[in-house]
Amino acid sequence: MSHIQFRDLSVSYRRPKSDERFLAIDRISLDIERGSFVAVVGSSGCGKSTLLLAAAGLVSLASGRVVIDAAPVTGPGGHAAMVFQDASLLPWRSVLGNVRFGLEMRRWKRDDLTERALRHIRMVGLGDFADYHPHQLSGGMRQRVNIARALAVDPEVLLMDEPFGALDAQTREVMGNELLRIWERDRKTALFVTHDIEEAVFLADKVVVMGRDPGRIKDVVQVDLPRPRSPDMLDSETFVTIRRRLRESLAEDMASLRLVTEGV
Amino acid sequence: MSLSLGKSADGTRRAPGVRLLRRWPLRRSTTISLLSVLIFLALWQTVPALGLMNARYTSQPSAVAIAFAQMLGEASFYGHAWVSLQEFVLGFVLALAVAVPFGALLGTSRQVRLILDPPLMALYIAPPLVLLPILTIWLGIDMASKVAVVFLGAFFPIIVNTGAGMREADPRLVRAAQSFGAGRLAIFTHVLVPGALPSIAMGVRLAVGRGVLSVVVGELFVSRAGIGHLLQIYGSALRMDRLLVCALVVSAFGYALTQLVRRLEDGLRSWRAEP
Repeated sequence: MSHIQFRDLSVSYRRPKSDERFLAIDRISLDIERGSFVAVVGSSGCGKSTLLLAAAGLVSLASGRVVIDAAPVTGPGGHAAMVFQDASLLPWRSVLGNVRFGLEMRRWKRDDLTERALRHIRMVGLGDFADYHPHQLSGGMRQRVNIARALAVDPEVLLMDEPFGALDAQTREVMGNELLRIWERDRKTALFVTHDIEEAVFLADKVVVMGRDPGRIKDVVQVDLPRPRSPDMLDSETFVTIRRRLRESLAEDMASLRLVTEGV
Repeated sequence: MSLSLGKSADGTRRAPGVRLLRRWPLRRSTTISLLSVLIFLALWQTVPALGLMNARYTSQPSAVAIAFAQMLGEASFYGHAWVSLQEFVLGFVLALAVAVPFGALLGTSRQVRLILDPPLMALYIAPPLVLLPILTIWLGIDMASKVAVVFLGAFFPIIVNTGAGMREADPRLVRAAQSFGAGRLAIFTHVLVPGALPSIAMGVRLAVGRGVLSVVVGELFVSRAGIGHLLQIYGSALRMDRLLVCALVVSAFGYALTQLVRRLEDGLRSWRAEP
């Protein structure tokens, strides 16, 4: 059985300042295999982050269900840990304090907390920065802390919501390689949301393309590139073919967006 | 440190005459402030001496200094200061003890906010001194009424800023904490409280000023002891020198306490500094 199952999942939000609700995602079904890395791409407003929040148990569902390890997700704090875009580190805690925070919230045993946190800080290459505070770190370093915090709680599933979205292209590439290096160690099931097609193809075994109004799955593309991945694969024929297909899938949404803009 | 600063500012291409000033141990800005104070004191001392102004109404720095020395030798001065200090500390500590928890409640519960916000805002804007006559009728002319008016003066800045600090908690931090399974209590103690501390400290700093003001005005209104009472007595006796000593003591106290809280605030806020 698949590790994560989304079954007829719908989530609706209230529009600001009214009682009207709109569908963020509409009856999505998706299976994610244990130990696979799945990327979700789509233009903004397609509900890709909502899909992730649903897996994390952070939104209430309008219909359908999310099942992880054969158990329905009912709230946060279960099998999954989340890496957010940016600024989700507690600014008054040090790097060590932030990584410990996840463990504290999961009620990890007191005595090996610090040791465990430090091990994960070293794993993301920040061994010398354990006492630094977030404002003293670069954007890339902060995201390393975010990743360390999520992995330290030893989650079954790693959920990443545009973790490199706020980084410059150069840092982004470095972080992508770094993430894969860490992920290869124990291959936790990973769900990675991004709006960057190349990033998605480079990282994932499977790329899910989502469309908007309402949020739904438009396409699922298998990425048959060998692991470990390396940057020279970015020019391979397989990579280029997949990238083209994804771009075409997304183009429809872009076209409709352009019409809207020109209409105004 | 100031020496090395002076040297680097001097540079090497300075005119030779400036070399005399090279040993001057103070920074430029400090020097200017100091000079302006000295000039003011000199004018204050000399203008009445030259007969250009009546020292009866302006006094003189030397007279104030002498009055200060005299008052320090009088036991009654300490008695009055002690009464005012007690009134201030009691009222302030009570305000802290009540305003912080209620502020937290105000910042975290929508219902409480809906109920308490309108009356709080009304009271925050109206100076609590408006209630002084009522408090005196209720609590008498001694310390109790002043404690109450200090309490009211200090209470509102603290409760309002505590509430605001909690309400403005970063939703991204709350969500991150939730994603790790933090419950309401854990979010409160680990996210809301640390995030609100700088704001609470700011409320306390504003409250110091209001509290000091409340003590003095409360005692000026009607009292039998305290610094405000001394102001009343010396005022009617036209003792300019002693009035100024009282003013000096009150403002020194308020200033010192405000600076102390500001230090605390800066310490709490240090993590907010951008790189």
